[in-house]
Amino acid sequence: MPDSPFWNKRHETMPRDQLEALQVRKLQTLVQWATDQVPFHASRLAESGVTPDSIQSLDDLRRIPFMTREEWMRSQVEHPPYGPILAAPESAAIRYHMTSGTTGRTPIRVLDSMKDWEWIAEMWCYGFWGFGVRPADTVFFAFSYGTFVGFWGAHYACEKIGCLVLPGGNMTTEARVKQIVDMNATVVCSTPTYALRMAQEANKMGIDLANGSVKRLILSGEPAGSIPATKKLIEDQWGAVAGDTAGMTELGTIMVFECSEQPGGTHIIEPHYIEEVIDPISGEPVGYGEQGERVVTSFGRGFIPVLRYRTRDLVVKVPADRCSCGRTLDIYEGGIVGRVDDMKLVRGTNVYPRAVEAIVREFIEVDEFQIHLYTAEGIRDEIEVLVEIPDSNADAETILKKIGTELSEAHEGLRFGVRQVADDTLPRFELKAKRLNDERKVIGGAGEKRGS
Amino acid sequence: MPRTWVVPPKGLNDAEVALVETYNTLVKTLEESGDDLEPFERHNALKAVAALWQVMNGLDLDPGQLYDIGA
Repeated sequence: MPDSPFWNKRHETMPRDQLEALQVRKLQTLVQWATDQVPFHASRLAESGVTPDSIQSLDDLRRIPFMTREEWMRSQVEHPPYGPILAAPESAAIRYHMTSGTTGRTPIRVLDSMKDWEWIAEMWCYGFWGFGVRPADTVFFAFSYGTFVGFWGAHYACEKIGCLVLPGGNMTTEARVKQIVDMNATVVCSTPTYALRMAQEANKMGIDLANGSVKRLILSGEPAGSIPATKKLIEDQWGAVAGDTAGMTELGTIMVFECSEQPGGTHIIEPHYIEEVIDPISGEPVGYGEQGERVVTSFGRGFIPVLRYRTRDLVVKVPADRCSCGRTLDIYEGGIVGRVDDMKLVRGTNVYPRAVEAIVREFIEVDEFQIHLYTAEGIRDEIEVLVEIPDSNADAETILKKIGTELSEAHEGLRFGVRQVADDTLPRFELKAKRLNDERKVIGGAGEKRGS
Repeated sequence: MPRTWVVPPKGLNDAEVALVETYNTLVKTLEESGDDLEPFERHNALKAVAALWQVMNGLDLDPGQLYDIGA
């Protein structure tokens, strides 16, 4: 069979009416599965009068209540460690991953079985293949391989495709650049920020990446992969094309990818998901071309059914024909364009200011604090917490160290700077406090995507 | 939930039908005779069935779930 631009041509070029019929059928099956296996969903579906038979069209989806991150986290706090959301016994799981929570130390914890884990890799295969990655490629992963799911599924996708995989965990930036060069890597996977960081390091090392072996960069973890100016900067520095992807721990994998035609957005893998876009205030659907909040229903991970999950991601959906690739899968123009809530993405890790506050406030010696986000060396996102410790008898050094360790542990190992500042120098608030100061530079200046 | 065997629909080519039959055979073997298999046999068969499930799912053949057999 000649080389196909599609991983699953049937899925990716399915006429829209057939695609919607498939989604309805899968939704019926998912509702049945969730009702039978998951008390958390069963009661919610019953209260709303939703049964598998009552799902007759995609309009019926709207009768299913929204699921929120807060509910998910609360269920895990009340019924640790996973909450009443598992559809299969823990003994059937082969993988555990987590993502930092919205409050305090409680993360969202997820499990996957062997079949689910294969599905997670399968979703990445749509993206890698669609961006032109093939068995002959040598793929380097600039990824830390921890409990953060990140590029894990992508690693297995590349093995599945038949690529030579270079797992670049636990390495300095210099060592990563050296390995990319020494091994003639043709594809590099990283966050957009880290792609720039590696390019900077290569420059310092006297390496001309732009004339090197790398032909493709697969970006994830930050919105910058779809910011045109940032993408152009990355592409220029690497002499390669850069493709955006986006996923989330709650799904285990990606739900969108940019194809090799680079349409200025990311195709939604609609045979495996229903992606609604709603007004975040009213909850009503918005039309093509209007910005709204992503709400996802996933057909893939049976272990943890996800029905109408409010992601808080802001997107603009446009029709598939915006792209010339032949896919019938709709597109998020500009990828993920922002957040409804106050979450910040720092080097691919979710950071919620209230989760930081919950930890900092456990240290009674800290009188006031501020979260400071900034851009180091012109490209690298950094996060630090500035604290005032007025008690001169307090062991400030130990406190700073402990805060840093605990923040890092609650955020998948993300490095936090913690710095003491002079007393009474941080702003005080009488009403709604705003203890986050985001001074990061949006590289390329293509527009505010970080919101504060 | 009772096991639903995957039925190859019209329109699949011979190679695809062979994959469906292989998947069904593997699931049936693991379900009915999994305990008779050596660890290396059972666990490699589970890996294979988890991979073939993606083919069934990619062909939209409603393969259901596999948690009861360990995949």
